[in-house]
Amino acid sequence: MQIAGKGTSGDAARPVRSTDPLLKVEDLCLYFHASNGIVRAVDHVTFELGPGRSLAVVGESGCGKTSLARAILRLLPRNVHTYSGRVFLDGTDVTSLGEERFRRDVRWVKISMVSQAAMNSLNPVLKVGGQVAEPLLLDHRTNKGKALERTREVFSIVGIPLPFMDRYAFELSGGMRQRAIIAMALVANPLLVILDEPTSALDVLTQGNIMNALKKIKQELALNFILITHDIATSSDLADEVLCMYAGQLVEHSKAEVFYRQPLHPYAQKLMASVPTLRMEKKPEFIPGQPPSLLNPPEGCRFAARCVKRFERCQEEPPLFVHGDATVKCWLYERG
Amino acid sequence: MRATIIKLARMAAFRAVFLFLAVIVGVYLTIIVANMGGKLDVMRELQIREQVAIAVLTNPAYKLLPYEEQQALVEANVQTELQRLGMDKPFFPVRSSMYLWNAITMQLGWAEDMTSDSGSRQVNDILIERLPYTLALFGTANLLLFFATLFIALILSRRYGSFLDKAIIALAPSSAAPGWFYGLFLILIFAAVLRLLPWGGLLDAPVPETTLGYVLSIIKHMVLPTTAVMASTFFANIYGWRTFFLIYSSEDYVELARAKGLSERAVDMRYILRPTLPPIIANFLLVLITMWMGQIVLETVFQWPGIGRAFYQAIQLYDTPVIIGVIVIFGYLLAATVYMLDFVYAIADPRVRVGAGGERK
Amino acid sequence: MTGLKGLRRYPSLIAGIAVIAIFFGVAIYAVIAIPYSHAILLWRGGIAVTADNPKNAAPVWFDLFTSDSLPRTIIVNSAEGAGTKTEQMLGNGTKQVDITLPFRFAFDRFPMELRLYTELANAADGVPTTVSWLTPNGRTIVLAEDRPFRVSDAYYISQDEALRARLSGGFPHVELLADPQNQDKVLKGDYQLMLTAQVPQTATLDSKLVVYGTVHGLAGTDYRRRDLMTPLLWGAPIAIIFGVLAAVGTGLLTFILSAIGTWRGGWTDRIFQWITQVNLIIPLLPVLIMVGFLYTRSIWVMLGLVIALNIFSSGMVTNRAMFLQAKEAPYIEAAQAYGASNFRIIFRYLMPRIAPTLLPQFVLIVPAFVFLEATLAVLGLGDPVLPTWGKVLNDAFGQGALYKGYYYWFLEPAILLMVLGIGFSLIGYSLDRIFNPRLRSV
Repeated sequence: MQIAGKGTSGDAARPVRSTDPLLKVEDLCLYFHASNGIVRAVDHVTFELGPGRSLAVVGESGCGKTSLARAILRLLPRNVHTYSGRVFLDGTDVTSLGEERFRRDVRWVKISMVSQAAMNSLNPVLKVGGQVAEPLLLDHRTNKGKALERTREVFSIVGIPLPFMDRYAFELSGGMRQRAIIAMALVANPLLVILDEPTSALDVLTQGNIMNALKKIKQELALNFILITHDIATSSDLADEVLCMYAGQLVEHSKAEVFYRQPLHPYAQKLMASVPTLRMEKKPEFIPGQPPSLLNPPEGCRFAARCVKRFERCQEEPPLFVHGDATVKCWLYERG
Repeated sequence: MRATIIKLARMAAFRAVFLFLAVIVGVYLTIIVANMGGKLDVMRELQIREQVAIAVLTNPAYKLLPYEEQQALVEANVQTELQRLGMDKPFFPVRSSMYLWNAITMQLGWAEDMTSDSGSRQVNDILIERLPYTLALFGTANLLLFFATLFIALILSRRYGSFLDKAIIALAPSSAAPGWFYGLFLILIFAAVLRLLPWGGLLDAPVPETTLGYVLSIIKHMVLPTTAVMASTFFANIYGWRTFFLIYSSEDYVELARAKGLSERAVDMRYILRPTLPPIIANFLLVLITMWMGQIVLETVFQWPGIGRAFYQAIQLYDTPVIIGVIVIFGYLLAATVYMLDFVYAIADPRVRVGAGGERK
Repeated sequence: MTGLKGLRRYPSLIAGIAVIAIFFGVAIYAVIAIPYSHAILLWRGGIAVTADNPKNAAPVWFDLFTSDSLPRTIIVNSAEGAGTKTEQMLGNGTKQVDITLPFRFAFDRFPMELRLYTELANAADGVPTTVSWLTPNGRTIVLAEDRPFRVSDAYYISQDEALRARLSGGFPHVELLADPQNQDKVLKGDYQLMLTAQVPQTATLDSKLVVYGTVHGLAGTDYRRRDLMTPLLWGAPIAIIFGVLAAVGTGLLTFILSAIGTWRGGWTDRIFQWITQVNLIIPLLPVLIMVGFLYTRSIWVMLGLVIALNIFSSGMVTNRAMFLQAKEAPYIEAAQAYGASNFRIIFRYLMPRIAPTLLPQFVLIVPAFVFLEATLAVLGLGDPVLPTWGKVLNDAFGQGALYKGYYYWFLEPAILLMVLGIGFSLIGYSLDRIFNPRLRSV
C-alpha cells in the first residue's frame, strides 16, 4: 500500500555516499528551559543510517536518548529553548519543512515511534482498533475499508487476536498493549520506526515475546528501525549498528560486531564491561562517579572525569573522529 | 452492541431506584425536621378542619340548622376525619409515613396564603406553574456557562503562561461571590444607573402583543440574571478546566497522538477533551448543585417568577405547605440532575460502560 | 515551597494575605474598640441610642465629592448648658421659663430634618408651650403657639402639617432656613430657637434642638438611624469566624472521616459513600431556611447545621480519591507489615501525606461559607441579634435602597463581602498552584 509520496530533495551539491543514507542527522541540538538553567539534552549529534540497517541507541538514563528521538520527530516540549540542526530523510531535508507539511508528509508516514511505557500510550476512551487505524484515516489518505483491512494486517503481524480491535485499552494486558503500539507504528508503512525502550516496562517473559516479534518484523518487512534502550543485552539481537550517547553527546557510532565485542570509546568499553554475559567468568565492572548534569556540562570531554584513559588533550572537547566505519568522539582516535 | 445496551439499561434502572431512595430519605428527614415543633400536624389538622367545615356548611341539608348545632356537627365530623386519616396515631411511623407518601407523590395540599396565577390554592398548581420559568433561566444560564467555559478552557490550555492565561488565573478568585451578589451589582449598574436593562421580572409592562415581542421581552429580562449566574463561576470554571486539560495534555497518549501526525484540533477533541469528559461532567454536576441553591436568592433579587421566588414568598408568609412543596421539588430536581449527569458520564467513559470499575490512576 | 523568596513568584498569594491581614486587623479593632455589649446596644438599642442620628444619611466623606458643603447634625441642648435659660417667677405658683437655643448654620445645603425634644421634671403633661424661630436676618416665625407638651415630648417640626401650610407648602426644614431672596439657597448665619412655657415653680424644663444633617459618620446611617460603622466593623469578625469555623469544621471532619472510611474499606466505606450520595440530594439552603424560620435563627445553630450537612459532600469524594491513591503506597504496606495499628497508620502516615494537597480546598471554601451567612441574612433569616454585613444588605434590599438611590447602603457591605471573599480566594488559588502535585509536571 503506497502512501503519499515525499517532497523534492533540495540540496544537490552535497557529497553523497554510494547509497543515499536513509537517515542523516546533522548537528542536531535540542535544549530546554529548566527552572535553574538550560538543559542540553541533545548536543550537536551527527550520524547517518543506511537503508535496511537498524540502529541501537544506548546510554545511561538521562543521557539524552529519548530527547534524540523527539528531536528527530520534531516533538518539541513546551519549554524548548533551542532546536537546530538538520535531519535528512531519504535525501529530503525534513527540518526545512513547515509544521503543517511535516505533520502531513513526514510524521508517521515516513517516521513513526513506539514510545516507552505503553501503559498510558493508548487513549482510554477510544477503541484500540480505531486508534491503530487512525493515521490512515487522517487527511483522507485512504478510506475506512482499506484502513480496517490494513489494521487487521498489522494486528496479525504483531500477534494480537483480531477481536481485540474492538476493545478498549484497559481490556488489554501490558504485553498486548505494547504490541498494539507497535502495530500502530507499522500501520502506515513508514520508512523508519523509532522504538523508545519498548520493553522496559514489561516482565521478562513478555519482553522476550516482544523482542521475538520485532525480530520477525525486521526479517519479514525489512524494516529500518532505531531502537533506543538502556538494556544493552537485548539490543544486541536486533541492531546492525550502535550509537552510544553520553551527557547529551554522541560518543561512538560503530557496527554492532565492533561495539558489542570491542567498543572504541572508553565509555563504551566500560559500558560493555558492565554487562554480564552468559558464559563469562569475570565480574561485571561498574563506572565510578556520576554522569555530568546536562545543565552545566563541564568543559572539554564530558567523560574525562570518569575516564581511566584520560590525558591532557582531554581538557579540550574532542570532535567526532572517523575510525574505519565508525565515528568516535575521543582524542585517542585523532589519527584515525 | 446489544450487550452494551442491556448493560446500560440495567445501570440506568439501578441508578434510578437508588436516587429515588435517596429522595425518599431526604424528604423524610425534611419532614421530621419540619415537624419537630409539631408544625406539620397543626397544618394538617387545619386543612382537615377547613375541608370538613366547607363540606358541612355547604351541604344544603345542614344549612338551616342553628349556628351552635352546625359547629357541633363540624367538630364531630372533624374528629371522625382525624381518626379516619390516622391523625391520632403516633408520628413514627404512621403519620410521618403518611406525610412522606403525600410529599413523594406530590399531593402537597393547599397553600395557606399563596395562590397561583390561575387562582388555585393547591400547592401543586402554584409550583408547577412556576417551574418552567425556573428551568428556562437555570437551563439557559448553565448550558451557556458549560459550553463557553469548556471551549475557552481548551483554547487556554494550549496557551500556558500567556497573558490571557495569567488574566484568567488572576480573575479566578472572582468566583468567591455567588450569582445573586453579582446580580445586585449588575442591577445597580445597568438598571439603576445606566437604565439600559430592566430591574427584574419576566416581561415588560404592558405585555407585548406579538409573539416576537413577547419572546424578545423575555430575553431582555433574562440578560441580567443569566450574566449574574455566569459571572459568579465563569472564571473559576475556566481556570479549573484549563488546569484539568493541562494535566491531561501531558499524558503519554496525547504525545503519541501528536507523533502520529494528528492536527492540533484532532488532538484537542479526541485525545484531550474526550478522555477528560468524565471528570469534567462529574465536576459540573457539583457546580450545578451549587447553582440550584443560588437559584432561590437569584430569583428573589431579580423578581423572576420561578419556584425559587415562590420559596422566598412562602417564607415571608409563613406558608408551610408551599415550603415543604418546594423542598420536595428541589429534591426531585437535584436527583434528576444527578441522574442525567450519571447517564452522560456512563456514555462518555467506556470503563463505566464495560464495567471495569475502580480508578485508573 | 522554596521559602520566602519563592513567595515572590506568587503575587496573588501576597495580595490575598495582605487583604486577609487587613480584615483581621479590622476585626480585632472592632472587638476591642466597640465591646460586644456596646455593639449590641448600638445596633438594637432603639430610639434611645439612635434618636440623634439622621435617617438614611450618607457617609461624611461624600462631602469631598460635592462642591457644596453637606450639613452635619447640630445638637443644641439646654440641659448641657448650651443656649440660655431664664426663669421668671409668676404669682400663681408657676414660673415662666424661656429657653433660647442658638446655632450657626453655615452649610450650603438644607438639613434633613428638624426636631425639638423637651424634658419636664416635676410636672404633669399638657404644659402649653410656644416655640418660635429666629432667622439671621431678623425674621421671627412662630412654629407652635400654646401647644400642650407632654412631660417627655418630641416636636417633629419637619412633619408639622399646619406649619407647612403656613410656610407656603414647603418643608419646614427647608423654608425655615431658606434665603428669602433665593428660595433654593440656604441663608447662612446664626439662628435661634425660642421656647416659652409656663410651668410649676418646682419644675425643671430642658430642651434639645436637633438639626439633622444629611451626612453622618464614616459609613452613613440606615433607615433606623443606626450608624452603619457598627455593623460594618463588627461584620468583619463575625464573617471571618463563621467562614473559618465552618470551613475548618467541615474540612477537618471530612478529612478524618474519609481517611477512616477509605482505610477500613468494606462496609464503612460503602456506607460513607451512600451517605454522601444522599446528602448531595438534600438541598442545603432550603433546609437551613426551613430550620431558620421554624425554629431558631441563632448563628451557632446555623453553623452547626452547615457543618453537619457539608461533611458528606463533594469534599468527601475528592478526599476519598486521594486517600485511595495514597493507600497503595509501599510505605503503607510496610507499616502494616511491622504491625502498626490502624489508628497510627491513618493519623501518622496517610493524613499528613494528603494534608498539603487539601490545604487549598480548606481556604477556598471559606468565602462560600461567608457568603452563605450573608445569603441567609439577605433572606431575612440571619441571626436576629448580631450586626452582620448580610443583615445590612437585607435591610438595604428590603427598603429598596437601589430604587431610592442610597447606593452606599448596599455597596458598603457588598464590597466588604466581596473583598474578604476574594482575599481568601486569592490565597486558596495560589496555594493550589503551589501544592497541587499534578501540576508539577506541567
